Amino acid sequence: MSRIGVFVCHCGENISRTVDVEQVAAKAALIPGVAYATDYKYMCSDPGQGLLKKAITEQKLSHIVVAACSPRMHELTFRKAVASAGLNPFLCEMANIREHCSWVHEDRTEATTKAIEIVTMMVERVKKNRTLDTITVPVTKRALVIGGGIAGIQAALDIADAGHQVVLVEREPSIGGHMAQLSETFPTLDCSQCIMTPKMVDVANHPNITMHTYSEIEQVDGYIGNFQVTVRKKARSVDEDKCTGCGICIEKCPIRKIPNSFDCNLGMRPAIYVPFPQAVPNTPVIDRENCTMFKTGKCGLCQKVCGPGAVDYQQQDQLVVEDVGAIVVATGFDLYNISEKPKGSPIKGYGEFGHGKIPDVIDGMTFERLASASGPTGGKILRPSDGKEPKQVVFIQCVGSRAREKGISYCSKICCMYTAKHTMLYKHKVHDGQAYVFFMDARVPGKSYDEFWRRAIEEEEAVYIRGMVSRLYQKGDKVVVMGSDIAVGVQAEIEADLVVLATAVQPRSGADRLAQKLGISYDNYQFYSEAHAKLRPVECATAGIYLAGACQGPKDIPDSVSQASAAAAKVMTLFAKDRLEREPIVAKINEAGCVGCFYCKKVCAYGAVEEKEIRDRQGNLIKIIAHINPGICAGCGTCQATCPSKSVELNGYTDEQIVAMIEAL
Amino acid sequence: MSNPSYAYYPGCSLHASAGEYDLSTRELFAALGVKLTEIPDWFCCGATPAHNVDELLSLSLCAKNFELAEQVGGDVAVACAACFSRLKFTQHTLEANETKRVQVEKALDAPLKIDRTVKHLLEILVRDYGLQRLSEKVSRPLSGLKVACYYGCLLTRPPDVPNLDCVEAPTIMEDLIEAAGGTPVEWTHRMECCGANFTLSRPGVVLQLSNNILKSAKDAGADCILVACPLCHGNLDIRQKEIENTHSTDYGLPVLYVTQLVGLACGLTPDKLGLEALIVNPMPLLKKKGLL
Repeated sequence: MSRIGVFVCHCGENISRTVDVEQVAAKAALIPGVAYATDYKYMCSDPGQGLLKKAITEQKLSHIVVAACSPRMHELTFRKAVASAGLNPFLCEMANIREHCSWVHEDRTEATTKAIEIVTMMVERVKKNRTLDTITVPVTKRALVIGGGIAGIQAALDIADAGHQVVLVEREPSIGGHMAQLSETFPTLDCSQCIMTPKMVDVANHPNITMHTYSEIEQVDGYIGNFQVTVRKKARSVDEDKCTGCGICIEKCPIRKIPNSFDCNLGMRPAIYVPFPQAVPNTPVIDRENCTMFKTGKCGLCQKVCGPGAVDYQQQDQLVVEDVGAIVVATGFDLYNISEKPKGSPIKGYGEFGHGKIPDVIDGMTFERLASASGPTGGKILRPSDGKEPKQVVFIQCVGSRAREKGISYCSKICCMYTAKHTMLYKHKVHDGQAYVFFMDARVPGKSYDEFWRRAIEEEEAVYIRGMVSRLYQKGDKVVVMGSDIAVGVQAEIEADLVVLATAVQPRSGADRLAQKLGISYDNYQFYSEAHAKLRPVECATAGIYLAGACQGPKDIPDSVSQASAAAAKVMTLFAKDRLEREPIVAKINEAGCVGCFYCKKVCAYGAVEEKEIRDRQGNLIKIIAHINPGICAGCGTCQATCPSKSVELNGYTDEQIVAMIEAL
Repeated sequence: MSNPSYAYYPGCSLHASAGEYDLSTRELFAALGVKLTEIPDWFCCGATPAHNVDELLSLSLCAKNFELAEQVGGDVAVACAACFSRLKFTQHTLEANETKRVQVEKALDAPLKIDRTVKHLLEILVRDYGLQRLSEKVSRPLSGLKVACYYGCLLTRPPDVPNLDCVEAPTIMEDLIEAAGGTPVEWTHRMECCGANFTLSRPGVVLQLSNNILKSAKDAGADCILVACPLCHGNLDIRQKEIENTHSTDYGLPVLYVTQLVGLACGLTPDKLGLEALIVNPMPLLKKKGLL
C-alpha cells in the first residue's frame, strides 16, 4: 500500500489568493493512499524542502505530490529534495495549481474545486509511477567547430587549449572570415590583420586542432556526446601535404582577370590562388570554373612549374567522417547585397540607391578593403570609377536595417560604430576631405564606444545629419545624395564623390540548409535560435550544439569573441565528465509485443528508433523489432500514441498513468 | 479571349481639368475591347484635403463610393493617382482597424462593402490586358520617341498600400512604353514630388520642385514626359511656361497621359485623345517623329 505525501504550496499569495490551500490539503488527506497532507507558504524555500524531507522520513512516505507551480519551474528542485531523503526522485510529481489554476481564475470557490481535482489526478497518477534510473551515455571528448572566422577560431583555440581535440571546418579556402578583410577595428583602431593573423597561425600550429578548409558539412548523425559528422572536403586540385606554399603556380597562371571576392571584387586574381597573402593554410586552390585547363583541357602550366608536384587536376571531393561529442556553430554573416532582390524573399531591395549600377556607391566591406593596407589600393582611399581620391564622402547608415517595410526590422548593431570608424580612417588618409553621415540614431552602447563616436564628430569633423536618404543618382562624375535633415527640417542634397552604404548584417547564405542538417532552429531571418534569450544564450535547444558569433544575431568582434569563449566553456563542461547523465523520460519497447511494423520509426522526429534482431539460442533469427536508443530519444511520446500493438511505453507517461489521471476526474 | 469589364471611377479631375485623360481612357479601352462602366452617382474621394482635416470623413467618402460601385460589376478601375491612393488607403485602414470600421459603418448607416479589387489603369493595361496582347494592337509604334516615365509620389507609395509595383524602383510604366514601341529614358527624378496641390497655396514650391523634374527629364534626353496623375500633369504641363520663365530656361517638353500615348500607338486619332487640350503642344514633336 502506498503512503503518499501531498504538499500544498501558497506560493506567497500567488496561489493562496484564489485557492483555499488549507481546504486543498484537507481534502487531499482523505484520498485513499494519502498518508500525509499539509500546506506551507513557500514549499520551494529551504524550510519548505526541509519540511518535505522530514515528512518523508517520519511518515515513511512512498510517493510525493507537490501541489505548486509548473513542473517546468520546480520539478527538478523537488525531485532533488526527494532524492536526498532517500526516495527515487521519479516517485515525485507536481500538481500545477498556479499556472493552470490560481493565475487564470478569479472565483475562489471554483478555483479551489479545480485545485482539488488537479491534486486528486496527480495522486492517482503517482500511485502508478515506477522507480526510474538516470540514463548515462558515453561522451566523445572531441569537438567540431563550424566556421573559421574570429568566433570559430576563438572557440577552437579555447577548447584545444583545454586539452581536447577540435575539428575546425571552414567553407572558404582560408580561415579568417570577415575579420581578415577589415582594415582597422573599433574602438581602438588597431589593425585587424595584426591581431587576427597570429590567431590564424595558432590554429594551424595547434597540435589539438585538425583543420578542414574549403570544406562543408555534408551530414550530421548522432546525438549529444556522440555525433558523427560527414565533412565534404572540396577538391582543391592542390595536394595539401605536398604543397610548400611557394606561390610559383600563382605567379605563372596566365588567367589573371578574375574579380577577387576577398577584395569585394575591386582587385583581380588568377585562376589558381590563395584568397590573401596571409591565408591559412597557405595552400592555393584552383577555381575550376575559370581555369583554362578545366575548361578546355589545355594549359597545365601550374602543374609544370610546381616543384613538389602538388597540383592534381584529377583530385576529387573527399568525404571524411568525424566523431565528435559537441558542435560549435560559428558560421557568421554576410552583408545584405541591396542591388539584388532575392526571388521569393520578403526582402524588397533598394533599387533607388543605384548600388551595382553606380560604381561609386559601395558597401561598408568594400570601403574596408579600400582602407586596408593589404587591399587593392594599398590602403589609399581611391574611388572605383576613376581611381581619384574622393573629397566628399557620404556614409549612409541603416541601409536595410530597421526598415520593416523593406523586409528587415532588426538593428544590425555594428554599423553605427564602423561608420564612425570609416569617417576617421577617411579623415586620416584624406586630410582635406569631408565625411558626411546620414543616420537615424547613434546606437553606440559599448565600452569606450560612445567616446569613439563623439571623437568622430568632435575631433575628426565628420558631419552627422539625422535623417534618411531617399535616392542616389549619378550626375556627371558625382553621386547626388537626396535626403532629409530632420533636425533642421529641410531637404538635404549633397554631391558626393563616393557613397558608402552601411548595409544590413544577414546570416551567411545557406544558413537554413546547415540548420536543417544539424537539427537546430532559426528565426525568420535565418539567424540561429538560442535555447533561452537570457539564461541559455550560447546553447541551442538541440543538446550538444552551441552557438558563437554573428550566426545567432548581428555582433561585433568583442561580442563574438566573448560568445565563442562562452560556447567553448560549455563544451568543456560537457567534456568534464566521462559519461553524460540524461533524464530517463524515454520510450521503451516491449519486445514480446512488438511485431516490427516500424510505425514508430516513421513518426520519430529524432531518429531514435533502431532495428534489433531477436534470435533464439541457436542463433536463428526470430524477428526484427524496434529498439529505442535512449541517448537520442527526446521523450515526446509520439511512438507510444502510434504503436498499434501498444508495445511502446514512455517512461513517466505510461498509458496506465494517463488513464488513472482521467479516471480520477 | 473575352476581356473582364470594370467599374470605372474617373474622379473629379477627369470631369474637369483632365478631361482629355477621361476621353483618351474611354477611347483606348473601347479600342481594346475592354468595357468600362462608370459607377453611377460616384463622388469625390476626398483627395488630399479630406484626410488632412478629418480622417473619418475621408474614409467614409471612399467607403460610400465602394458601396455605389456595388451596382456595377468588375474590379474598380481608377485613372487618378490620388483617387487610387485614397481608395487603397481606405481598404488598408479599415481592414486592420475595427474601431474605425465601426465609426465608418455608423457614418454610412450601412454595413461596409470595401472588398472590391481596386486597380489603376496601368495595372489593367499591363497585367490584365497584358503587354503581349497590347503590343499586337500597336499599329503605330512609338519608334524613336524617348519617353521620361514619371511616377510621382502616390502610385507606388507607401509600402504595402497601393502594391502597384516595387515601391522605389518600379518599371510598370517603362514596360508599357516599351510594349508601345517607345524608348523609356533612364532619369533621376521619376519618383520625386512635383509639389502636388501646393500649386494653389504655395506655387513657389511647385515651381521649384517641378523645375527639378523637367530639368532632369530634359538632361536625360527625353522628348516628352509620361504621367498617370492629373495633378502631376497640371504642374508639369500647365505650369511649364511659368517654370521656364522663372528659371530663364526652355524645356518645351510635352506632358502626355499614359492613355494618350498608348492610344496613339494603337492608332487612335488626336481628336479622340484630346491632344489639343494639352498646354505644351505635342503636335510638332509627334509630327517630327512621324506619329501623326
